[in-house]
Amino acid sequence: MKRVWISGWVVLLALGLACSGVLAPSQVSAQQEVTIGVIYPLTGGAASAGRELQYGAELAAEIANNVMAELAMDMAKNAGIKSLNGAKIKLVFKDHEGNPTLGADLAKKLILDDKVVGILGCYHSSVTKAVSAVCEQYKVPMINDSSTSPILTQQGYKWFWRTTPHDGTFTKDLFEFLKGLSEGKAKGVKAVPKQELMNLAAACEKTEWGSAASGLIEKYAKEYGYDLKRNLLYAAKSADLSSEVRSLLAVKPDGMLFASYTSDAILMLKTLKAEKAKPKLIWGQDAGFETPEFRTTLGEDIVGVLTRTVFSPKLGQVKKISGQVNELYKKKTGYDLSDASARGFTGVQTWVHVLEKAGSTKPEAIQAAANEIHIPGEQLVVPWKGIKFSTSGEEIGQNLLGSGIIGQYQKNQAGEVVLEIVYPFELATANLIYPFKGF
Amino acid sequence: MEALRNALDFSDFPRTDLVVAAVVAAVLVAFPLMPYSSFAMATMIQFLMFSIYGMGWNTIGGYGGQVDLGKAQYVGIGAYTTAVMLIRWDVPFWVSMPVGMALAVGWSFVIGYPLFKLKGHYFAIATIATSLVIKDLFEVWDFVGAARGLHISPVKYPPPDFLRLIFKEDVYYYYFLLGFFFLGILIINWFRHSRLGFQLRAIRDNEDLARSLGINVHWAKIKTYALATAFVSAVGSFHAVYIKNIEPEDTMSLDISVLIALMAMLGGAGSLWGPIIGAGILIPLKSYLKEWLGAKAGLIGIDLILYAVIIMLVSAVEPKGIWGLLDRLRRAKRSR
Repeated sequence: MKRVWISGWVVLLALGLACSGVLAPSQVSAQQEVTIGVIYPLTGGAASAGRELQYGAELAAEIANNVMAELAMDMAKNAGIKSLNGAKIKLVFKDHEGNPTLGADLAKKLILDDKVVGILGCYHSSVTKAVSAVCEQYKVPMINDSSTSPILTQQGYKWFWRTTPHDGTFTKDLFEFLKGLSEGKAKGVKAVPKQELMNLAAACEKTEWGSAASGLIEKYAKEYGYDLKRNLLYAAKSADLSSEVRSLLAVKPDGMLFASYTSDAILMLKTLKAEKAKPKLIWGQDAGFETPEFRTTLGEDIVGVLTRTVFSPKLGQVKKISGQVNELYKKKTGYDLSDASARGFTGVQTWVHVLEKAGSTKPEAIQAAANEIHIPGEQLVVPWKGIKFSTSGEEIGQNLLGSGIIGQYQKNQAGEVVLEIVYPFELATANLIYPFKGF
Repeated sequence: MEALRNALDFSDFPRTDLVVAAVVAAVLVAFPLMPYSSFAMATMIQFLMFSIYGMGWNTIGGYGGQVDLGKAQYVGIGAYTTAVMLIRWDVPFWVSMPVGMALAVGWSFVIGYPLFKLKGHYFAIATIATSLVIKDLFEVWDFVGAARGLHISPVKYPPPDFLRLIFKEDVYYYYFLLGFFFLGILIINWFRHSRLGFQLRAIRDNEDLARSLGINVHWAKIKTYALATAFVSAVGSFHAVYIKNIEPEDTMSLDISVLIALMAMLGGAGSLWGPIIGAGILIPLKSYLKEWLGAKAGLIGIDLILYAVIIMLVSAVEPKGIWGLLDRLRRAKRSR
């Protein structure tokens, strides 16, 4: 009897012991490798963006670890990090599921168990906020490639750098676009009287990122003289957005603005279609509006929808390196580079440059190198002037040379839905479709 | 004095149980003295947190038979009280934690009164609803950071700081929580022997009969619900200083309420060891399946599938959970 009884308790004890260091999964880095911990959402509502980020980061590591003379990039000239005796970049991916608590735990694991030299991630601003706090505490460098809440670089952290522009820049771009539209600057569209687009309605998901985006939309709407009639927050995990959509449509908006992750962006558009919404303009704050799933799931329904982004495959027409890397990416995944994958790629590329400049894996050397680094714009797949981080003022660690673009989904001659650049107006690759034709 | 005697009285358990419990306790105390990984430490802290959550849930859910799926609101009240008091007024953790417990208990009395007029699944649905309403309120309440929540900055509050309970090494958090874990066991043990504990079990078995015996059913449930709330709120306060980043979506999600109930049920609701067994199995299983079969192995989602299958298997074999399974084996052995 006792034997049976004790065996039950042993199960619990064994599980407890399984938590000891002996059985803990660990990562032993070979000396000729530099390990970087990468924390992305690989499951959950933003999994598709997470996978895009992962593929982009993997492609950059592949280029950094091999000589690819045909690419006009410093990191393609050497196999590995030259100043570290050719050490190869090794990426260890972790899945945070969009959960800040899990993200913080994973960061500790990467830092203390896997002994990574630094962290890259995390897409969700809320997770990045939690992870950056852990990195700051342990004095481990973190490069953020894809989170856009402005607050992240306003915390006075000394171990955090962000390559992507933030929503302050992107939201201002939107209102500059609207202003240009009323001044007749948009390609292929006559000047649209401001009064015609005066009433706006916005819906943003309600975590750190969406809340910040919502606040910025309110701020710039007031600044540029638009009437934001409705500005609501909703849960990205919602299974039904009917009441939110009806609430937005009740104010008869001319323009509808969104900040959504993948699953909710798709649901939002489907609900708009079901409600026969017909605003003159729909704009998404990147993220869900820019994932391949958004495009493939909704197909022609999104023709005319605008999204801010930092990358469009069309860039390849005006920037050779973007086209070359896009081809490599397409070969690897079957898709064009997207905003997410381009930013994941740029994140790893920045890590390579920082390590090359540091010539050491010591945190202090990496910190000094990150603060001094300058990557020229011509080396990047994204349309930025380059990467140079601020070291003083209100924002610490923010890339000063980033910029955004606004794309519009249009049908090409082959009948495919593609993202054309419509802003900045001087970079426009197609005539703007205005007004939005409806669903 | 009698309460203390009750708390320390484990004489109704077989000696084997007590020996095993003592060994487990010794392992828990000694764990940080052995070589361990940060991942293992984080898992152990999660285990302790959910054990204590589960102990609280077990009073009303296990002994009282009232399926409460709204515990996340009290995690949130505890966490937010500590975070708000620290960030706005620099109040130490040791003051804010009891304040958080008092607020949570106060709120539990306010909603407990109408809630316990309901029975069965209506009660469960109502607890979910109240928790979601509180979460939604916090998401629009600027004073507590609204949807963006609150962040305890490592720059503003550098570790180590015993008063604010802010440490760099998790081992301090572990021992703090372990102290609460043992205290929790003693409190639940007192509760089992107390008049209230007996009343609750009588109510669970036959509410009408309990009422006919002169038990104030409604009041007994409310008092037990308040006790459960105190447990959950205390760990919620700990959550704030441990994670340092709280937001309604993360701290008060329905997932947390369900996990708390799930672990206690799977381990064995209505028994002293049930929630500890449930957390001891599910937390490491969740963490390690994810680590070994998740992103690393490229089998994204397989960890969740396996996790769900294990839960379903246990539920199908023995609805009373692991403790029920062990109890059944023990009885079968006796009857031979």
